[in-house]
Amino acid sequence: MNENENTETPASDRDLSNAPDMIVCEGVSKWYGDFQALDEVSATIKEQEVVVVLGPSGSGKSTWIRCINRLEHHQEGRIEVDGIELTNDLRNIEKVRSEVGMVFQQFNLFPHLKVLDNVTLAPIWVRKKPKAEAEEQAAALLERVGIPEQADKYPGQLSGGQQQRVAIARALAMEPRIMLFDEPTSALDPEMIKEVLDVMKELALSGMTMMVVTHEVGFAKEVADRIIFMDDGQIVETGTPEIFFSNPTEDRTKLFLSQIL
Amino acid sequence: MSDLNTTGVEGTVTIKPAPETPKLPPREWLKENLFSNKFNTLLTLFSAAILLMISRGLLSFIFNPERQWGSTSTNLRLMMTQAYPEEQYIRVWVSVAVIFTLVGASMAIWNAGSRVTLRRLGSFLLSSGVVIDILTLLAPFSGQAKIIWLIIGSAVSGAGGVLLRVSDKDKDISSLTLVVATLAAAILSLWIVPFGHHSFVFERTPRSMAETGTVALTTKLPWTIMVVIGILAYFLGKIVMNRFPSKNLRPTIIGIWFLTPPTLLYLVLRDPDFDMGHVLNTDIPIFLIFAIAGGALLSWFTRPTTGEIGRVCAALVLLAGFGMFFTPMRMIIRILMLLLATFALAAPTFAGDSKTRRRYVLAWLGVSGIITWLVTAVNTPSTIEVPGDFFLGGISLTLLVAIFTIVISFPIGILLALARTSKMPIFRILSTWFIEFVRGIPLITILIFFSIMVPLFLPKGMELSEVSAIVIGYSLFSAAYLAENVRGGLQSVTRGQHEAAEAVGMTTSQKTFFIVLPQALRVSIPPLVGHCIGVFKETSLLAIIGLFDILYIARNVIPNQTEFLGSTRENLLFVSLIYFFFAYQMSKASQRLERRVGLGER
Repeated sequence: MNENENTETPASDRDLSNAPDMIVCEGVSKWYGDFQALDEVSATIKEQEVVVVLGPSGSGKSTWIRCINRLEHHQEGRIEVDGIELTNDLRNIEKVRSEVGMVFQQFNLFPHLKVLDNVTLAPIWVRKKPKAEAEEQAAALLERVGIPEQADKYPGQLSGGQQQRVAIARALAMEPRIMLFDEPTSALDPEMIKEVLDVMKELALSGMTMMVVTHEVGFAKEVADRIIFMDDGQIVETGTPEIFFSNPTEDRTKLFLSQIL
Repeated sequence: MSDLNTTGVEGTVTIKPAPETPKLPPREWLKENLFSNKFNTLLTLFSAAILLMISRGLLSFIFNPERQWGSTSTNLRLMMTQAYPEEQYIRVWVSVAVIFTLVGASMAIWNAGSRVTLRRLGSFLLSSGVVIDILTLLAPFSGQAKIIWLIIGSAVSGAGGVLLRVSDKDKDISSLTLVVATLAAAILSLWIVPFGHHSFVFERTPRSMAETGTVALTTKLPWTIMVVIGILAYFLGKIVMNRFPSKNLRPTIIGIWFLTPPTLLYLVLRDPDFDMGHVLNTDIPIFLIFAIAGGALLSWFTRPTTGEIGRVCAALVLLAGFGMFFTPMRMIIRILMLLLATFALAAPTFAGDSKTRRRYVLAWLGVSGIITWLVTAVNTPSTIEVPGDFFLGGISLTLLVAIFTIVISFPIGILLALARTSKMPIFRILSTWFIEFVRGIPLITILIFFSIMVPLFLPKGMELSEVSAIVIGYSLFSAAYLAENVRGGLQSVTRGQHEAAEAVGMTTSQKTFFIVLPQALRVSIPPLVGHCIGVFKETSLLAIIGLFDILYIARNVIPNQTEFLGSTRENLLFVSLIYFFFAYQMSKASQRLERRVGLGER
């Protein structure tokens, strides 16, 4: 990761104050039975912004990110994605989902389909793209994530890192405006983490709006515009990586950083 | 992005083959696996004793001079097709020829067969020769027969031994060649040995009236032709595959396989008495109206830009379909309307570019055409005159009912399983009730109900033969069980798969059709095949409602013939062999299928 620091401007130096809002959360709360997973979470994410969500496990990071494309339903507050409010209206959900790409911790590739078909399925049937066009695009995306030669294999024949890169290509094939990453490297062997993070870095530099739940501090320092630290379902502290890591204000943040750094 | 392919993690890895497990010489193999300690030795001896006693009992049953095997061989035709008229028998052979052609072509197109090393073949022959010899010693043969069989066994062993000695380690032979060789040997034996006359196995005066060689005489030429046709079809398939390789080849063959049973039944075997005037004036015009209007409607529904109005219209078609189904009018109109409603309901799922839409409309034309033809065929009387309720009996009736039941109950069962796991309460409750109700009733009750009661309840203008009614009842019964098997598969699809499909924006039906069902069905292959085998075997209950299935013939018909009074046990043994043959083939096919679809999994 060192070679990038010399050649490219850190993403956090960009000025995004004039960019339009992409994701707006106001007082989002969610309960699982009696357990409150999210407690009045409010945040605004700008277009092209890269936000890394940190926090101890069970702090509600994943729940929050999954609420944003309505894999989980929030019970109070409002979430607006690109101007569309998430309600029970099926049409809104489908519209939001086709604009928001999601990458999962466990990859969740479709094991019965070849890699190429994993990537083309949604463009063909959801976006109604002609098959030839979708395949051309898929080939280009697989090239972009660095595994063009694996198109005819099944997911089970690939390594974890390769599978996660296919999952990124699958999400990108829908041409989303926002990408959500839910602990994308947590299920990977250490030597495969870098290849996935490299792809995510490239994506961030290309101007994609990204929300990343991760434990990769190096990635957060290098790529994030903003860090959001969560604990007990609440946002405890937000800030640019420089300030967040060197000079945190809250005690809980300090405790967390002392444990992971 | 150029520096992404950095590490050597994903480079092609050269795999070093695992060292071969050294093969133990026979003596040590025996010692290690059968006589490794005192307890195992005891167990081995005990099992061997039991095995010997069973074999001896079975052999002395089979080769007992009291046995009337002539009752089986003389009545082979009765067991195959019951009273199908002699002068029309060419129709049966044509059907068999069609099936052999398809089998041959499919084997070529699916690259059936594997390589068998000559050493494996050699050791197989060696051990089977030894088994033959042992069985001969156990069997109650007279001196001469015993010597003949001992010679045969030793010859087989010897051939195996020679193969083991002579052949290289890596020399192999196609398993298809072996199958053809076996078939050829069987047919050659038809030409040489006068089957249908049973005294050749042991000396005694035949008590039966069986003519010498009846079976061989009537079937040796047809069977030879069948095998030749199968081989020719295989090579034809190979040629077609090499000359015109096409993605559509396999789907086409699968389609033909699905069309074959109704075609053979309604066009070839049943020899329908079509009223051409009626067909031209009513059936074809009705079909054309539905084909054209329905095609246009579906083409509009599947256009991505149609949107909300299309969904509303599709819902209206669905309502109209159900409404019309319960209104008295021509059956064909009701069924086509219901079919159109189903297609309309699924249309938003398959909306897409012009190619996709054309394919959807073509599917509609194909399915509606087949359904029209089937309904017409069912309502056309047969010209084949036989005593009894149905023109077929024996194994062909068994297979017919089993095949139709399995094919019909599959889609119904899948729909029931989907309904039972659906979020919509009405579907869920209705499906659960149906499944639990049907599973709570004995199959015999359902068969009796459908054969006696249903024809009374049918609306005017609708006729159903007894066998059709039974197939429908049996299909509903089978679908309820099948649904539970499929539901198990549905539940095995992980939440992550659902979420991944939802996250890329798929609708519920797209998710079900493209992601969930393929994985669920793959997981359910073993229980589904087990279910199919069950359906096949339980067709023997047809005897209870007065149809002549093979078990009924073996148990009640043949033992009552004056020549073969009391020959129940022989025929039951033979029939159980036939059941076993088909069930075992299904089981084998399922294993192959599991291997094939397991491809993507590590």
